[in-house]
Amino acid sequence: MAVTADSTAEQAPNPVPHDPSEESRKAPDQADREEANEGESDEEYDAEELDEPTAEAADREAVQAVFRRLSSEPVSIRVHDVIIMGNSKTRDTLIEAEVADLLRSASTVQDLVRASSLASGRLRRLQVFDSVTITLDAGPPELPGTTNVVIEVVEAASPIAADIGCFSKPEARSWSLEGSLKLKNLFGYGDIWDASGAYGWDQSSEVAVGVSLPRFKSVPTPLTARASLLSQDWLKFSSYKERLLGLSFGLLSTRHHDLSYNLTWQTLTDPSQMASKSIRRQLGHNLLSALTYTHKIDQRDSQLRPTKGYAFVSSSHIGGLWDMKGLKFFRQEFDVRAAVPFGFYNAALNIGVAAGVILPLGKGFMELPSPVTNRFFLGGHSSPVCSLGALSSLLGFKMRGVGPSEPRRFAPSESVMDDSATSPGRDYLGGDLAVSAFADLSFDLPLKLFRDAGIYGHAFLSAGNLAKLSESEFKNFSFPEFGRTFRSSAGVGLVLPTKLLRVEINYCYILKKFEHDRGKTGIQFSFSSPL
Amino acid sequence: MAAAATAAAEWQDAERKVLVARKPGFGLPTACPTCLPVLLYLRMSQVPFGIHVDTSFPDADHIPSVEFGDCVAFHNEKGGVIEYLKDENILDLTSKHPSVSYPDVLSTKAMVTTWLADALQYELWVVTDGSIAQDIYFRELSWPIGKILHWKKIRDVKQQLGITKINAAEKEEEIYRKASDAYDALSTRLGDQVYLFGDSPTDVDALFLGHVLFVLNALPTSSLRSHLQKHDNLINFAEHHKVQLLEVDSSLAGSGSSDPSSSSTPRKRASSGRSYKPKPRAKKERTEEEKKFRRRTKYFLATQLVAVLVFLSIMGGVDSSEVDNEYDVDYED
Repeated sequence: MAVTADSTAEQAPNPVPHDPSEESRKAPDQADREEANEGESDEEYDAEELDEPTAEAADREAVQAVFRRLSSEPVSIRVHDVIIMGNSKTRDTLIEAEVADLLRSASTVQDLVRASSLASGRLRRLQVFDSVTITLDAGPPELPGTTNVVIEVVEAASPIAADIGCFSKPEARSWSLEGSLKLKNLFGYGDIWDASGAYGWDQSSEVAVGVSLPRFKSVPTPLTARASLLSQDWLKFSSYKERLLGLSFGLLSTRHHDLSYNLTWQTLTDPSQMASKSIRRQLGHNLLSALTYTHKIDQRDSQLRPTKGYAFVSSSHIGGLWDMKGLKFFRQEFDVRAAVPFGFYNAALNIGVAAGVILPLGKGFMELPSPVTNRFFLGGHSSPVCSLGALSSLLGFKMRGVGPSEPRRFAPSESVMDDSATSPGRDYLGGDLAVSAFADLSFDLPLKLFRDAGIYGHAFLSAGNLAKLSESEFKNFSFPEFGRTFRSSAGVGLVLPTKLLRVEINYCYILKKFEHDRGKTGIQFSFSSPL
Repeated sequence: MAAAATAAAEWQDAERKVLVARKPGFGLPTACPTCLPVLLYLRMSQVPFGIHVDTSFPDADHIPSVEFGDCVAFHNEKGGVIEYLKDENILDLTSKHPSVSYPDVLSTKAMVTTWLADALQYELWVVTDGSIAQDIYFRELSWPIGKILHWKKIRDVKQQLGITKINAAEKEEEIYRKASDAYDALSTRLGDQVYLFGDSPTDVDALFLGHVLFVLNALPTSSLRSHLQKHDNLINFAEHHKVQLLEVDSSLAGSGSSDPSSSSTPRKRASSGRSYKPKPRAKKERTEEEKKFRRRTKYFLATQLVAVLVFLSIMGGVDSSEVDNEYDVDYED
């Protein structure tokens, strides 16, 4: 860290600490001088005409004086000017809008240094700069007690970035392999254009193009717009394939709140022509125009293996905003979970409860069916611990293997060989009310080899149930019956987090299941996203 | 044998049969020209059935379909619903005709299902301004989806009929010529019989009747209709059977199969499952006799008016002179 030493140091009581922003800094009174020299330093160095060792000693003395002063008391300062350098394409307004207020609000040197660190973090999060350096320079000599903040950015050399990896989008039901091409900062507003293709584990495929803006005029939160074509194949489970062509707009996105609007053309088809009657009635074209609001609080220490903290997610969808002919429904989900650490073997108990309900809207809504694509389904091998906000995990049961079902179309067999036609199978229709709960105890394994590799074990208990409420079925619904028909499973397993995937090998034992549920006691593999 | 018995057995055991068809309109229980023949066939076979209206899948190949128990007969399987019901020995009107010549029936059927069907598709999708097709298929869908599907269907029909910008006029002329020839042939075949092949119906009657009813009711100003109207016996055939099947039998079908269950698509609520009585007849199309009658009435009224005017003018002249005299008399006093 270099400090300007000036013969007129007494008249300029504000020294110039250089603050390379590549590292996150602690408060200045705890700063370590040794780690400060990594970034470029743009110093004004006005050396006295002394012998070198004496000059060095004098510098050191000056710097130590500065630090003594900074650590003893807050040193007031005022930001006079914010100077932005190095941006040829990026608009000044964008950078100023991101950080100017933050910097100008600092009233002491310590605050300013902290604010600079935050500001540089914000700018780096825009993903359009290769590096960001913030320097606190001396203010104009006629204005004592001021500083000029110099923000020097190096814009990304290549505006194109290609990416391929395993991701797990919050709205996705499972992980997917995604490749994307991004064009950064095309118009200088920090805009990121991307085209992506994804193939999901649950036989879904998606092609999308989108743009995201960090801020738009007076709206301080990022805005995104995306056009996508998603197709998903549920033939094996519910005898339909869905194709969604739509636009989605992220209107508000902060740490806790998320508001987005979707306008989607939804087409359900059944190429196998074996669907049950309820599914046949749902086939066709529909316009889904829905507003989604998600409120999320996640105080857990990790998303993949939380050992302490709690999380809460509430997600509300309201559909039917375009016109009276589209899909009209209201869907609400809650998810609460907590993690409690135990002292030994890095063990922690994770517990969680999730519930959701969907209601059709409109005249005579009590007799209407709910749209099958927005109902709740339980089953699948995704780990309940990692899937916050996705009410679908029930280990031990197959994907969509639980809940109301209906026999498929019976096609009298062509062959005359045996009298009994093979059963056509059943379509799982999902439920309008879903509740699921889990308890998971994770612990390190005694072998050092496993601990080093990050492999750990867990024992779990999970339960869940679905019920149909639409089409006047709510008249036959009762809570005691719902509680009595809860499906449950228990088991133990190993978790192997690798770079590409998070693999779980579980032995599940089905404690309770009902007729037509597809669940089996035995060893199962489960994959999820590694992040 | 066992397979056929199974489907037929399902039919027998089924509590109710449901025809999945498109929505009613133009005075017909279903306005879709593909669904109407199936409905008429079921009515001719005197099978009680309910109707479920589908509004969300206008481009489905599998509609119309008939559901019985857990089985379904789809339009795009095994040659269609009527063929399926015949093959499975469930409903076969033609078999009740020992004397009818099978090649005759087959060739007539081929003519109706190709030439006439093509002409109708051409008229509905390519010639008219689109409002009729919009009413039948897309009215219940959200606007952007309806528009796109409509455009797609027009393009598909043109492709199927082989119509391009270059040969459009030629194709049109060919289509209408074939339709006209078909009408001539069918008119000759029908003569003054009740049905095309004698006194009892065949499936060709259902197919042809569906075509004619659609042309007469939904395509009032089309060239097809003008070709059709050259044959009075075909018009009478249609009118007669419309009354028989769609007005009398609707009450029978209604009592036999009312559907207590709720509607399935979110949009259709009041109209699911119950069998339909046709809507109150829309304004009737004017036949030649009616036009003549109206013309004569107009002449008569015009004559009457002229006579009254003449009378008034003559009498009015006399009156006014009398009135003048009175005034004169007054003034003189």
